[in-house]
Amino acid sequence: MHVNQATLSEEQRLYLHPLPVRIWHWLNALCFVLLILTGVQIRYADLFSLMSFETAVKLHNWVGFVLIFNYFVWLGYYLMSDKVTNYHAVLDAKKFFRNYFDQAVYYSYGIFKGQKRPHNIQPHDKFNPMQKLTYQVIMMITVPIQILTGLMLWDVNRFSSWIDFAGGIRVVNTIHVLMFILFVFFIFLHAYMGMLGPKRSTHYKEMITGYEEDEGH
Amino acid sequence: MFTKSGSGGRNDGTRNSSLAALLAFGMVLALAVIPSTFAASVADADSAISADDAKCLKCHSKQMKKSMDDGAKMSLHVTASDFADSVHSAIGCTSCHQAIAKRKHPKEKIAISDERSFSVEMNQACGNCHEEMAKQYEGSIHAKLVAEGSDAAPVCTNCHTAHAVKAMSVFESVTGEVCKSCHEPIFEAYAQSVHGEARANGNTIRDSHIQAPICADCHRAHDISAVSAEELVQSTCLSCHDEATLAHEQWLPNAEHHLEIIACAACHTPMAERRIDLQLYDKLTKVPMGNEENHAPFQQKLDEVDKSGDGLDPVELWKLIRRTSQEGQATDVTLRGRMEVSTGADAHRIAAKGSAVRECDSCHEQGSAAFQNVTVSIARPDGRKQRFNADSDVLTSPVSLDSVGNFYAAGGTRIAVLDWLLILAILAGLAVPIGHITIGKILNRKK
Repeated sequence: MHVNQATLSEEQRLYLHPLPVRIWHWLNALCFVLLILTGVQIRYADLFSLMSFETAVKLHNWVGFVLIFNYFVWLGYYLMSDKVTNYHAVLDAKKFFRNYFDQAVYYSYGIFKGQKRPHNIQPHDKFNPMQKLTYQVIMMITVPIQILTGLMLWDVNRFSSWIDFAGGIRVVNTIHVLMFILFVFFIFLHAYMGMLGPKRSTHYKEMITGYEEDEGH
Repeated sequence: MFTKSGSGGRNDGTRNSSLAALLAFGMVLALAVIPSTFAASVADADSAISADDAKCLKCHSKQMKKSMDDGAKMSLHVTASDFADSVHSAIGCTSCHQAIAKRKHPKEKIAISDERSFSVEMNQACGNCHEEMAKQYEGSIHAKLVAEGSDAAPVCTNCHTAHAVKAMSVFESVTGEVCKSCHEPIFEAYAQSVHGEARANGNTIRDSHIQAPICADCHRAHDISAVSAEELVQSTCLSCHDEATLAHEQWLPNAEHHLEIIACAACHTPMAERRIDLQLYDKLTKVPMGNEENHAPFQQKLDEVDKSGDGLDPVELWKLIRRTSQEGQATDVTLRGRMEVSTGADAHRIAAKGSAVRECDSCHEQGSAAFQNVTVSIARPDGRKQRFNADSDVLTSPVSLDSVGNFYAAGGTRIAVLDWLLILAILAGLAVPIGHITIGKILNRKK
């Protein structure tokens, strides 16, 4: 059943994205973009001249630390909030992958046929299976790896024992670049999939106001 | 009064005659006591030479020569005035030539195989008095080369001379004598450097109390090390430029790390040709690989790996590291990369601080000149590096992730495969939306 958004009061509309999450999300997005730009400048000084190498490195370091701080905003919020259930793993693997498959079918067929989305969005369970797995990997594996490798590259001597453990500075840098490549891909996908709501702007607005803009899609 | 005085005058004349006679007698006596030949040959010598030494010089001030086993002739001539002026004139000939003193000389002759081995043998004599210096010299690259049989490496007398030994102050001469006689191109480069010019003009740098360095100030005089022991030279630079670490930290990210892996001269000699040297290093013992035991097998392994002898490519380098690691159970071989200047002369042509390389992208940019010249090296027993050429792509190949894991310059030595992966990620990032929209359009058209 479709409910017209205009007829819902604020209390009735689902409050999906609390303020700390929204601040974290957009600050994180800004950091990602700045880190990608400065990272590209550092790695491809022969191809781009947005800024000097020296400025790029300094900016990359500063923004990196803002991102680390921001990561702990996200971690702290979810650890202290009952909303942490959003990131809980579904222990029934069979059920999870059935739902994952359903979601994939929806994205590749149902969405174009106006079918109802398979996942029922709730503040404590707002991610569909595809989102859940992606965000678990991003926030609990790739971002921490990127933070750790970034720290090692920021101060090579201070973290020399970590670097040795990882197999050397070239290995650390390669991991950092592989994560960067993954994030570049993720940003494209994330920006596009954010447009797959009832309107292209729906999910973007949600991420600003915090409220679900249109239930049922 | 007058008569008295006249008589007195006569008396004076008699006294003068007696004095002259006495003087003449004294001179005759003196000439009889002092060997007449010595008086002739060392008349111009400033300081006194002992009677014993005078006996030696009686013959050795002549142009004497001795035939040696190798057929050559060695001069036995000693310039008396040089010896008289030397700091050793006080101790006398037999202090050093003890063997001569112990036998009937010159009757009893000894065989000398060649001049060089005699010089090396006589080196021991210096150590009898200059014990500390001799000990320092024994650990030096010069002594190691002499021990290896080098004909060119100096023994004491090559720098100090045998019989005209001068005070230490003479060796501080800005003309670079002694070192220059073997290392002339390097000294000429030094003479044009900020150090050499300061030394020549007033002898000071910035603060009047700091003396601009000359050879021995950085390399030390007697315990001189192999030039490739960069850590030693680096710490020597910092011993005067103690503010350098702090000054670099003001602007250079990872300053301490940069100072560790880049030779000072690589940036402070702006026009120098630079190279990357990848030195075999044992991660477990934390010392450079290479000693008398495993040096020869290394060359053998190298020949096996680089059959064509055209320099190591990434795969060959990887194989070499693996084979070297397997040999010793207690070794974990890695390559430690350092940026150095290619020639010894360039290393000494240090420029004023203002003209040092400060642009990051002179290294941190793909294709920068510094990374085009790569060598792999192993420490020789004497501390010097034995270098082997490697292809420049050992710094950019994915194969080197393992073998050259410890050397990486952001941007400058980036792995090209990752660039393709990035392009693929961007294309895939664009393909997904385009593909998805296309599927939607196809499905809706069917409807």
